[in-house]
Amino acid sequence: MISNSSNETMIAQKAPTAWSGLLKRSTGVSSSLTLQQRFGAHLILILLCVPALLPFLWMVATSLKGDTQIFSTTLTWSTLFPYPLHWSNYSGALEAIPFVVYLKNTLLLCLVTVVGTTFSSAVVAYGFGKMEFPAKGVLFLLMISTMALPAQVTMVPVFALFRWLHWYGTYLPLMVPSFFGTPFYIFLLTQFYRNLPTTLAEAARIDGAGEWTIFWRIMLPLSKPALITCALFQFMATWNDFFGPLLYINDPSKYTLAYGLQQFLSVHGSEWARLMAASTLFVLPIILLFFLAQKTFIQGVATTGGKN
Amino acid sequence: MAANISDLPAWFKVGAGTVIGVLGIIWILSPTSTGPANVPTPVTLTQKRIPVYYWHMWSGEWQPVMDRVCTEFNESQTKYEVIPLQIPAAEADQKFLLSVAGGDPPDVMAQWTPAIGTWAQAGVLQPLDTMMTPAEYRYFSKDTFPVVHENGLYKGRLYGLLVNFDVYACYYRPDQFRSAGLNPDQFPSTLESLVDDSLKLTTYDSSGRITRLGFLPTALLNFAGSFGGSFYDPRTGAVLIDTKQNLRALNFIVDAHKKLGFDRLLRFNAGLSSQDGANWPFITGQQAVTLDGEWRVKQLAQYAPNIDYRVALLPPPAGGVPDASFSATSYLTIPNGAKHAAGAWAFIKFWEGLDDPAEGAKFKTWFAWLPDSAQMANTPVYQAYLRQYPQYRIFVDLAASKHISTLPPVPYSVFLQDHITSDDDLAERGALSPSSALKLLDSQIRRQQQQRKALGYDQ
Repeated sequence: MISNSSNETMIAQKAPTAWSGLLKRSTGVSSSLTLQQRFGAHLILILLCVPALLPFLWMVATSLKGDTQIFSTTLTWSTLFPYPLHWSNYSGALEAIPFVVYLKNTLLLCLVTVVGTTFSSAVVAYGFGKMEFPAKGVLFLLMISTMALPAQVTMVPVFALFRWLHWYGTYLPLMVPSFFGTPFYIFLLTQFYRNLPTTLAEAARIDGAGEWTIFWRIMLPLSKPALITCALFQFMATWNDFFGPLLYINDPSKYTLAYGLQQFLSVHGSEWARLMAASTLFVLPIILLFFLAQKTFIQGVATTGGKN
Repeated sequence: MAANISDLPAWFKVGAGTVIGVLGIIWILSPTSTGPANVPTPVTLTQKRIPVYYWHMWSGEWQPVMDRVCTEFNESQTKYEVIPLQIPAAEADQKFLLSVAGGDPPDVMAQWTPAIGTWAQAGVLQPLDTMMTPAEYRYFSKDTFPVVHENGLYKGRLYGLLVNFDVYACYYRPDQFRSAGLNPDQFPSTLESLVDDSLKLTTYDSSGRITRLGFLPTALLNFAGSFGGSFYDPRTGAVLIDTKQNLRALNFIVDAHKKLGFDRLLRFNAGLSSQDGANWPFITGQQAVTLDGEWRVKQLAQYAPNIDYRVALLPPPAGGVPDASFSATSYLTIPNGAKHAAGAWAFIKFWEGLDDPAEGAKFKTWFAWLPDSAQMANTPVYQAYLRQYPQYRIFVDLAASKHISTLPPVPYSVFLQDHITSDDDLAERGALSPSSALKLLDSQIRRQQQQRKALGYDQ
C-alpha cells in the first residue's frame, strides 16, 4: 500500500512535468509558424491523406447505397454520397452470414496466435539478443533466411505434415506454429533486446537470478512496447488471414471473418452493398485497435529498429 | 527457476484478463453458444452413412440451391451422405490441388476452369466412363446433346461430366429497333446486315460520344464458329490458330470496331459501370443488341421485369454456320485419392439425371441451366419452366446444335484461353492487325507446346 501510494504520488508529480514539456515542445513548434503557415501545413497534410482514405470512404459509402446507386455512371454528389441511406445493408449482411460465429472464431484464433507468437518470439529473441552460445550468428542468419522462403514452396510438405498429424480440418495448423516463433518478430525483438543495457542482467545475475528469471522479471516487462507492436502485427495478420482457413478449414462453422466474406461474391453478380457493409464491420476493430494502441505502437516500432 | 502467476507483470495480467473476459462475454452472448444454429451447414452427417465430401464454388444466391440438391440426394439415400463445402472460386484450384498432393482430396470436385485436360494428364482425376452402367453410357453417348458428351474428355476418356454449359444468342429491344426505323419482327438474317443495322441503332451525344451502342461483335472465341472457324481438330488433336476461317472472323470483328472508332469504343466501354444485375448495359439502354448467355433471361426477370425484349440466334455471316455458339462449361470430377469414389459417382449421376432425366431436369430449372438432352427438355418440369421463361426456349434449341464449340481439350487449355483472349483484345483495340494477332498467338502456342515437350509433360 505504502509503495503504491508513493508511486501514485510520484506519477502525480511527474505528470505535470511531462505534460508541460510536451506543451512546451508543441508551443515551441507552433510559435515558429504563423497562423497561415499552420493552416497551409494542415491543409497539405489533409490533402495527402485523401488518396489513402478514398478506398475506405468508398467502402463506407457503398455499404449505405442501394443497388442502382453503386455503379452509377454519372459522377455527382448524389452518386458519391449514399442517399437515401440503406442501413438495411448492415442487417442484411449480418443475416446473410453467421457474423457472430465468424467473429468468435476469428477472435479465438487472434488470441491464441497473438499470445503464442509474441511469447515464443520473445523467448527466442532474448536468446539471440542477450545470450552467448556457439554458432549464434549462423543460427540467426538461418532463422532470418527462412523469411525469404515463399509460402508456395513449403505449402505441400507443411500440408502433408499436418495431415499426418491428423490436424487437417482443425484449427491446430493455424494455431500451433505460432508457438514456435515468427522470424520477423524474432528479428524485431532481437534488435530491441540488443539495445537494452547489459548491466541490468548482470546486476540480476549477481543477485543470483538465472536466465529465465532475468528474462521473465526484467527483460519481458521492459520490452512491453516492442511486444505490443509484435502483438498488433500478429493480430492484423491473423485477422486478415484468408489462405490459412482456406487451406485447412473444411467446416463452415469454423470459418473466420476474412474467409467468410467471400460468400458475398457470386458468379454473374455479387452483393456489393452487403459485402461492403460486412467489410466495414470487418475493418472497424482494426481501426479501433490502431487508435487505442497508436502511441505504444509507434514507440515499439521506433525502439525495435523498424524506424530510424 | 520457475515463475508463478504472481510473478507475472501487472500489465500482462490486466491485458490477459481483459482479453479472456471479452472473449468469454462474446462466447456467452453469441447465439451459437449452445450450438451452431445459423452456421451454413444445412447438410450434416446425421446417420451412419458413408460421407461423400463435395467441394463446389456456387456462392451467393446459388449456394442454397446447391445445398438443396445435396439435401435431395441425401433424402434419397440410405448408403451415402453428401457433405457440401463451398469454396471461393478464385482459389478453388489451389485448395483442391493441395488436398490432392497432400493425399486428402474431396470425393467430388466441381470445376469451372477449362483444366480437365491439365488435371487428367497430371493424373489428378479418375476416369468417369468406367463407372457408368451400360444404360447410363448409352444415354450419355447417344441421347445427350453433342456439347455434353463431346466435352470433359482427354485422350478419349471422360474425366469431367459436364454439369452446366452456357450458349449465346442476341438480346434486343423492339422499342429501340422502332426508334431507329428498323422492324423488330425481322431480325437481321446475316451478321453483315446486323452490323449495318448497328450503325443505325448507335446514338451519339453532341460531342460525338457514343450514348447507345447498336451491336458490336467482340471476342474471337464467340464468333469463330459462325465463320466455320475452330481452335481444335478432333481428328488429329491439333490446336488450330492461324486458319483462314479464324482470320476472317477476327477481320470481321476488327472491321466492326473500326467503323465505330477504336477510341470512341474504348471511351464508351470505360464508362460502363457493370456487366451484372441492374447495371447490365442492355438493361440501362446503353446497348441495343448484345450477344449474351441464357442466364440473362432470369436476370432480366429479376432486375427489369418490365423491359420488352426478344432473343434471336446470332445470324451467320454470308456462307457461314447458322447455329454456332461458343460455350463456357462446368464439370463434376472425381479426384484420384477420393475415399468414396462410388458414393461420388452416385451423387454425380443423381444430380445429372443420368438414370433419371426427369429428376435431372428439376435441378436444371432450380439453377436456370440448360438441359442435357431432348428427354430432359421435354420433361413436364422443364416445359413448365419454359412456359414461365419463354425467351429461354431459343437457348434450349441452340443447346442441341452440333456447332457448339468449347476450348480444346489440351493440357494447356487455360494458357490457350488466356492468350486467345489477350491477343484478340490487342486486335480489337487496334494495337495489332488481325493477321499479326493470330500469328503472335500461333507462335505463343507453338512455344508453349515446345516447352512442355522439353519438360517431358507432353509427347
